[in-house]
Amino acid sequence: MSCLITVSQSPYGSRSAKESLDAALVLAAFEQNPGLLFIDDGVLQLLPKGQQPSPHKHIGKIISALEMYDIEELWVETESLQELGLQVDQLSQPVKLVCRQQLSELWSKYDQHLVF
Amino acid sequence: MAGFLYMPNTTHSNNPTSLSYCIVVRCGPNQQSQSLSALQFTQELLAQGHTVMRVFFYQQAVLIASSLTVVPQDEASLTLQWQTLAQEYQLELGVCIAGALHNGIVNPQECERYQLEAANLAQGFQLVGLGQLAAASAECDRLVSFGA
Repeated sequence: MSCLITVSQSPYGSRSAKESLDAALVLAAFEQNPGLLFIDDGVLQLLPKGQQPSPHKHIGKIISALEMYDIEELWVETESLQELGLQVDQLSQPVKLVCRQQLSELWSKYDQHLVF
Repeated sequence: MAGFLYMPNTTHSNNPTSLSYCIVVRCGPNQQSQSLSALQFTQELLAQGHTVMRVFFYQQAVLIASSLTVVPQDEASLTLQWQTLAQEYQLELGVCIAGALHNGIVNPQECERYQLEAANLAQGFQLVGLGQLAAASAECDRLVSFGA
């Protein structure tokens, strides 16, 4: 069983970002092979460390733990990246790019979806 | 975003095409139509003879498990409707423990552990870890998530 977790929320606007990553880590711990797809403001979760935006736990710390949990399928939607004026080499993790037109193809590769 | 999945076109129970479902509710009582969709979808699944192995309340949905919510007399209580459904079908209503504690939903054990003033987890609901979501997602035929 594989699960794709789609995250579209900015890192600190709500607790959604942390809760989606928590779900990813737990699914990985249960060997569910989760993948993560970052779209819209969700891409901002992949900005590198260096800022301390709030007293909340730094999302970057959770993001950097993904590899340790064998979550290697990290996808970023190309259009979202462009809309935010970012380049792929500015992101904290090595990611795979997927354009909007290919999203349905990506979705079809997974058995389950959780959309945050 | 409400999940939508293929539903076998059968209306009687004990049908051979029945599937086991895990329902994830992420929308709170204030997102009325979405919360209601989750409930009604689950009701319909059970009415059609499918199995719901677990309902998992995450994020804002943990507030549905509060026994201290008072709704106006002419409105239906989501909490009560879930309780009724759970009782009728021996449904497991799991509430994310981290989210619950964060939102002030506690059972007597947590109340004692954190020295809180009162416990308010509604009857029929239980506090469980996120692992219960992962376990259910591994075993079910269909995972359907409600809320955004």
